[in-house]
Amino acid sequence: MADANMKFLVVDDFSTMRRIVRNLLKELGYSNVEEAEDGAIALSMLKNGHFDFVVSDWNMPNMDGLQLLQSIRADAALKHLPVLMVTAEAKKENIVAAAQAGASGYVVKPFTAATLDEKLSKIFEKMGK
Amino acid sequence: MSDFDSSNQCDTASATTKATATDDELLSRVGQIARTLHDNLRALGLDKVIQNAARDIPDVRERLNYVVSMTEQAAQRVLNATDTTIPLQEQIIAQCDTALCECDTVECRAVPGHEKITLALQQINANANISKQQLIDIMMAQDFQDLTGQVIRRITELAHNLETQLVQLLLDYAPVELRKETSGLLNGPQINPHAEDVVSDQEQVDDLLSSLGF
Repeated sequence: MADANMKFLVVDDFSTMRRIVRNLLKELGYSNVEEAEDGAIALSMLKNGHFDFVVSDWNMPNMDGLQLLQSIRADAALKHLPVLMVTAEAKKENIVAAAQAGASGYVVKPFTAATLDEKLSKIFEKMGK
Repeated sequence: MSDFDSSNQCDTASATTKATATDDELLSRVGQIARTLHDNLRALGLDKVIQNAARDIPDVRERLNYVVSMTEQAAQRVLNATDTTIPLQEQIIAQCDTALCECDTVECRAVPGHEKITLALQQINANANISKQQLIDIMMAQDFQDLTGQVIRRITELAHNLETQLVQLLLDYAPVELRKETSGLLNGPQINPHAEDVVSDQEQVDDLLSSLGF
């Protein structure tokens, strides 16, 4: 397991889903989690605080998950942040677009705890943690 | 077809004038068709149908919003419950682990009934683990709220667009008659507790009943 103190930002416009992801992360040993309800809020939180990992929904008001991902990759200070997309958008073109924009992983809702665990592990492995 | 051909051949010189004339004619014919359609709609009572449809859509939207908010509340209640009970199960597991360790000494093993207690602790530990996993499953299942919510939100938007278009249609072709009508007694759950003539809690029900002498 990677560093248990890693700071996660969970971005989703549905509070139910934010709670579920937060609880799953806690179950996996990561209890340092903050939440944002859209991409715009998330981006300003990322710029103002030190985060280690972003878990983001796609379809959100103000700024969607793809725009958030693109903004993160375009920002010199944030571009190395791992971003895991967790979304109900299940079209191939979505997955391709996310990958091209630099997503670290892609989980389609509804998902299981095991899937989230597996994707996180894969990303940590790549990061060499 | 042949009419068109002959007219084209006849009047090439005044093509521009002809085009304008054709445009005017086209417009007037479209106008006639629209007028006929409008009259027919009225004759068939279809303008009322459109009017009713446009009138019902805000109600449909409110009902969909009600579904979103009720399912959200239900999901939050479940999450509150799992947030409380998962740590309780974890506590039981940890306490069993500690007790099992502490019981695993020569002195303890000499105590009569030791085996039974150990077995019971192991059973409790195993059950608490299963319960905790099931609680996590229950928590995960609440993701339906996000998924159904997204679908309903789309339908709500669609209904809104449809309403706008229908209202525009009515504004364009028929004066909207403001009608007040009774909605009867089968309205289903009240989605807006602040609406007129609606009670929002049991207290108000009791007050109303007692004011009527029941």
